[in-house]
Amino acid sequence: MTYDEYLDGKPVVITAALTGGIQGKEAHPDLPETPAEIGSAAAAAEEAGAAVVHLHARRDNGERAFSTERFQAVTDAVRDATDDVIVQHSTGGTAAPDALRAEPLRTDPAPEMASLDMGPMNRGRRLTSENTRDTIDGLHTEMRERGIKPELEVFNNGHLNEAFRILDDLDEPPYLNFIFGPGTLAPPSPANLQRMVDQLPEHAEFNVIGFGPHQLPLTTQSLILGGHVRVGLEDNSYLRKGELATNEALVARAARIAEELGRPVATPTEARDVLGVESRR
Amino acid sequence: MACPHLDYRESDGDREFDTARAFCTVTDEFVQPVHADICNERYGLDPESDCEIFREDAGLDWDE
Repeated sequence: MTYDEYLDGKPVVITAALTGGIQGKEAHPDLPETPAEIGSAAAAAEEAGAAVVHLHARRDNGERAFSTERFQAVTDAVRDATDDVIVQHSTGGTAAPDALRAEPLRTDPAPEMASLDMGPMNRGRRLTSENTRDTIDGLHTEMRERGIKPELEVFNNGHLNEAFRILDDLDEPPYLNFIFGPGTLAPPSPANLQRMVDQLPEHAEFNVIGFGPHQLPLTTQSLILGGHVRVGLEDNSYLRKGELATNEALVARAARIAEELGRPVATPTEARDVLGVESRR
Repeated sequence: MACPHLDYRESDGDREFDTARAFCTVTDEFVQPVHADICNERYGLDPESDCEIFREDAGLDWDE
């Protein structure tokens, strides 16, 4: 994606990250946790303009779950509640063993897309998501075997090296996701986003996540740079200072800004074409 | 095994939940889902070595 393609009005793919696994209803009373709640949130996000939903699974009490069985319940609920939205499963999992990380890839049908972390990320004093090269290659191999489009999660500039390492093994177009926030994530600034985009090969597509207050400005910048955007309660609880958001409202705002900037919002069918995703609907 | 400070509650007096959630009796607050994995000693995690709240309550320094 390039600025020229922005000027040409290439559609923008909006991804809704509906639930995550870090915080839950203790932090936001309307954060969807159960399969039924996530299905309803996915339907509302699709209606508001999301072409992709990024999914995590949880136990009944909101705690993290990685089993194929729990992901199956979530993905079934989402597929039942939505028309055509692209289903993307997370393979992320702070501290979770590699064997569990692959479980979300084994639902029936397999997800059309899945996240693939490109390197380590620390959380708090002792928690870390290691994402060794072995982990990356193991998950990537299984994604290729199952026809799942990987979204390469670039937590900081150094992870571009790992993304470039596997670039030749990816189906076109490579799809990278730049993540800005605290700790070991990329320091959030417009200049930093510009620098990361400048290092991409022209045929790559990119997406932007900004945590908390960085979600609105950095995703807006991505629209102008020809990139795609991810919004949702996994990354940001607030619509504006002091006002709790909903997934639907965050997607609707991203779609409204895109339209104002002359970027048509991609339907799920258009998004499959832009990102090279095989339909399983 | 689980952290001795872990409890599962449906209410903290202000909020009600359908399913009992992880609650820390040191901070008197519900626990983030990702932190509940430490409380429950999942994936090789352990409150005594990995939980800031547990260690501060026990008076443990990080170099101990």
